[in-house]
Amino acid sequence: MLSKILQERIYSLAILLIVVTIVASVIFPNTFPTFENLSQILLNLSTDTIVAVGMMILLISGVFDLSVGSVVAFAGCLTAYVLHFLNLPVPVAVTIGILASVFIGWINGYLIAYQNINPMIQTLAMLGIVRGLALLASGSAIQNLPYWFNAISQSKLLGVQMPVWYMLLTIILFTFLVNKTIFFRRYYYIGGNEKAADLSGIRVKKMKVIAFMLSAGLAGVAGVLLSSRLGAALPTMGRGLELRVITAAILGGASLSGGSGKIPGALLGALFMALIANIMVISRVSGYWQEIILGIILIGTLWADKVLQKRFSKI
Amino acid sequence: MKHLQLNHISKTFPGVKALSDVTLSIHAGEIHALCGENGAGKSTLMNILAGNLQPDEGTIVLDQLTQIIRSPQNAFALGISIVYQHLSLIDSLNVAENVFANDHPVNKFGIIQFGKLYEKTSLLLQRLKLDQITPNTLVSSLSPAQKQMVEIAKALSQKPAILILDEPTASLTDKETRTLFEILQKLKKEGVAIIYISHRLDELFILADCISILKDGKYQGTFLKQNLTKASLIKLMVGREINSLKSESYRQIEILLSVKNLSGQKFHNVSFNLHRGEILGLSGLVGAGRTEIARAIFGADKIESGDVVLNNVVLNTNHPFDTISKGMAYVPEERKSLGLFSEMSVQDNITVTHNNLTSHIYNATEAAQRSVELKDKLKIATTNVQQKVVNLSGGNQQKVVLAKWLLTNPEVFIVDEPTHGIDVGAKFEIYELLKSLASQGKGIIMISSDMPELLGLCDRILVIKKGTLAGELSSAEATEEKLLTLSTY
Amino acid sequence: MRVILLLLCCITLSCELPPRSSTEVVKQSIDTEEIKTKNEEYVMVTTAVTMPMYVNHDQAAFKKWGEANNVKVSILGPAEWDVPAQINTIEEVIGTHPSGLLINGTDPALAQVINKAVAAGIPTVVYDSDIPNSNRHAFIGTDWYEIGEMQGEEMVKLINGKGKVAYMGILGLNNMEAGFQGMLDVFKNYPGIELVGKYDDKANVEEAARITSDVLSAHPDLAGVCGFDSNSGPGIALAVKESGKAGRVKITTVDWEPEHLALVKEGTIHMLAGQKRELFTHYGAQFLYDMVHRTNRLSQSDLKAGITSIPYIVNTGLIKITKENVDSFLNNRE
Repeated sequence: MLSKILQERIYSLAILLIVVTIVASVIFPNTFPTFENLSQILLNLSTDTIVAVGMMILLISGVFDLSVGSVVAFAGCLTAYVLHFLNLPVPVAVTIGILASVFIGWINGYLIAYQNINPMIQTLAMLGIVRGLALLASGSAIQNLPYWFNAISQSKLLGVQMPVWYMLLTIILFTFLVNKTIFFRRYYYIGGNEKAADLSGIRVKKMKVIAFMLSAGLAGVAGVLLSSRLGAALPTMGRGLELRVITAAILGGASLSGGSGKIPGALLGALFMALIANIMVISRVSGYWQEIILGIILIGTLWADKVLQKRFSKI
Repeated sequence: MKHLQLNHISKTFPGVKALSDVTLSIHAGEIHALCGENGAGKSTLMNILAGNLQPDEGTIVLDQLTQIIRSPQNAFALGISIVYQHLSLIDSLNVAENVFANDHPVNKFGIIQFGKLYEKTSLLLQRLKLDQITPNTLVSSLSPAQKQMVEIAKALSQKPAILILDEPTASLTDKETRTLFEILQKLKKEGVAIIYISHRLDELFILADCISILKDGKYQGTFLKQNLTKASLIKLMVGREINSLKSESYRQIEILLSVKNLSGQKFHNVSFNLHRGEILGLSGLVGAGRTEIARAIFGADKIESGDVVLNNVVLNTNHPFDTISKGMAYVPEERKSLGLFSEMSVQDNITVTHNNLTSHIYNATEAAQRSVELKDKLKIATTNVQQKVVNLSGGNQQKVVLAKWLLTNPEVFIVDEPTHGIDVGAKFEIYELLKSLASQGKGIIMISSDMPELLGLCDRILVIKKGTLAGELSSAEATEEKLLTLSTY
Repeated sequence: MRVILLLLCCITLSCELPPRSSTEVVKQSIDTEEIKTKNEEYVMVTTAVTMPMYVNHDQAAFKKWGEANNVKVSILGPAEWDVPAQINTIEEVIGTHPSGLLINGTDPALAQVINKAVAAGIPTVVYDSDIPNSNRHAFIGTDWYEIGEMQGEEMVKLINGKGKVAYMGILGLNNMEAGFQGMLDVFKNYPGIELVGKYDDKANVEEAARITSDVLSAHPDLAGVCGFDSNSGPGIALAVKESGKAGRVKITTVDWEPEHLALVKEGTIHMLAGQKRELFTHYGAQFLYDMVHRTNRLSQSDLKAGITSIPYIVNTGLIKITKENVDSFLNNRE
């Protein structure tokens, strides 16, 4: 039983999260386990998690996308541009922002799947291009966005800000889709053995393009939500987000070689990193140390996971 | 002089007892064959000797000294060299760099002496009579047979006292096999102890001095070659008599599949018909274009011109999905890299294509149920269908691939070297399966380099030479000589 | 099904929209008569927390102030230039109710979270760049527009009002864009000045050097370059020196780190527009302290009266460093 739990990353990670939460609640009884703080943690990780869901699907199929951070900025800035300078209604602007992101995903996917361009180089190049486009759209930043646009993220439900609900919705929806539909299960086969998947009748190239479009689309959604939450579109949004998101997905059980990973893992991985970051803010660990400590904890966690798996698989 | 003694070796993997209480004695200057079905424990035993695995129980004694072989480096140091069945060469490096992968000659500053490296390699290549290969040929440009020979050169470069070969001839031509045997005989005279693992029983009787047999991880005994016959050996390995191939034709008059003037990158103007209930053999040398023709029919490769007609309908395909949905199945030769999802479960492997064709919502219960049915039907040896395929033996893996296609209920089966590297027992089960499919009116195209297999099973045999159809023989008129003549001259 | 629909309706109805405008934010009363000095702690939140200029000036002065007044000070924020992450950090800090918040005004998008801090009753001071549309209690810093103006005017003098000029910085930052604007507004009056380009050096010395050498090969007659971030100056100077045009191509830039000063001393850089960053955080912290301790009480209850007892806006002014006065700065620091 124990070995079974340790074999599956989402369970072992969930246990770790519970332990960390309990320990933090004991050490900081006044500041950590408050509704305010916990809902804040969830709000802060909502952008990363929504992007991580798309990244998880890409990682399951054995590829990844480094341009998602830029797409977050681009989608937010383009939407704001359309709202602010073209004065189009909010739903139209949001649709334009997300569709443009999906289009970027299509370019990535098409060039990678059909023209065999290395995914790392392709998406790295796209990272620069899209960041540039975001700058073009927004200049330094676009402020004073319409009320109804800001309401998308700034409204509250049951006292919790909306992005948290969107994030949970995304997680639930994609957990269902990936577990229960043949369409999404194909990505496990593609990541497991691309050539065998092709010979088994799965249209691998098409599926890959769709995965890139989906991932970029989710990054676009995250970008719209983030700029709505900030009430402004900044071209510097989502800097370094791609690596955070890949880290979260891998913590959550994905592997760079493909074929493994579960959607809730994206949330758990992001939650773990956000919890550690929050505890460091609460305990006032200075900014210089935060990255170092986070890095050490990440390596330590993955290492401990490997050691425990080895030990318990023998029993 | 070396004497290797294994005492009471046992090894257990999760759910499988791979070896139990195996005791073996191997002497210098002896060719000791090791045989058994796939999954009998030969590979495990070999990995223990190579230092890749540690036995749970038992000792390894080398020249009266008990040794613990912790790592492959450790094994090298003790004079044990291994030629692996699955190639361990690095494609992007040249022959010399591969042969001396871990052991480049260096000067006292630790700088590689390439002159010496190439010289030493070229001596080794001469010894193996590999005239076409130079030390700086890239491994990626070699044929599978040549790669195998380079693999052997790599093992010999260590000047081993104990040489272990795992299925070395699986991809070799007759000529190369003969060269290999000469070298092994010479090494034997030099006092090297050789452990030779093979499925090809004929070879064992030519080469070996004595034969040890494993079955289900248990040691069945060591016999001098003179005291065994092929039949008695098979009986020891399989534990049952195997019905020899008997061909009974289920061929019907109706034409199921018709290939018309098909041309692709490596073949031209190929035309033939496949009848319902027919097993049609495709013979030819490796590289003649048989696999390419099969892939083109299946829609995996581009067709330059010509038509594939199934049930009187011209197929218009740009992906295997199209042919699969029209009723085709393809079992590729390279099982591991093209046929299987090794890290996924038996269930996932069996249901992949069927699910892809039929429904939108995944039903785990139904998938498990179907997989269990097929597992029982094909006698796939695994504790349960959630087991990862990578833990199965070669024969069982091949059954998994076949099970996948049985689930889609196709009309045309294209099987490419279906019994390659598979033990005798599983081989016959696969033959039976193909025959029963033919009896149900399915059409089967079988590519094989195993001539007895083709002759025993097929209704007709087409011979492919350099990408064209060189001839057609009915089962009555076909002989090994005729097939060979057509494919070479 | 009907139950689910009903439930969905309930959920939608319980959805709470954000306030219509920022002024509607309820100003919460914090002015209890008892002075909040138990667990007194001042927190600075910036972005790019490890940037040397921030560490050596802002943060050093802040820590020194904390030691001198014997109160706890903490410095938080992301290591990268990541404004949303800075906002996240501030939000999390608000939950821990520190005595005062000192916030680096990196972007106008901070307005909301600053309002949230103010609404939570935390004295909040913004430094470096102002966030004008927020309810912050005080701002102390410089006007980036003036930095641009200063550079523009000096450049005009250096090149006699004519020639080709390039400029660079981190594109897309609000304060930097204001700086660019200040410079451009000066150049507008001099038709002899030809602008050859606006470049993004990504706050990176190598990038600044690469851009400069490319511009120099495209325009061998380049008259001057203006740099707007900490790393622009050293990068521009490096490329100009390597092309053998040191002294001939005029360079004005920002910040006065030791390497900048050395380059002024040797004559490669002609002017530095420096900020008094130590003053930002020292006085910023002092304002917070005074507010908490009600050092200068102006009414019976300042909050009830709707006033603050600290300055609303403080402009610390700029430092102009040229070859003439560089020595006094060089010897100032150990």
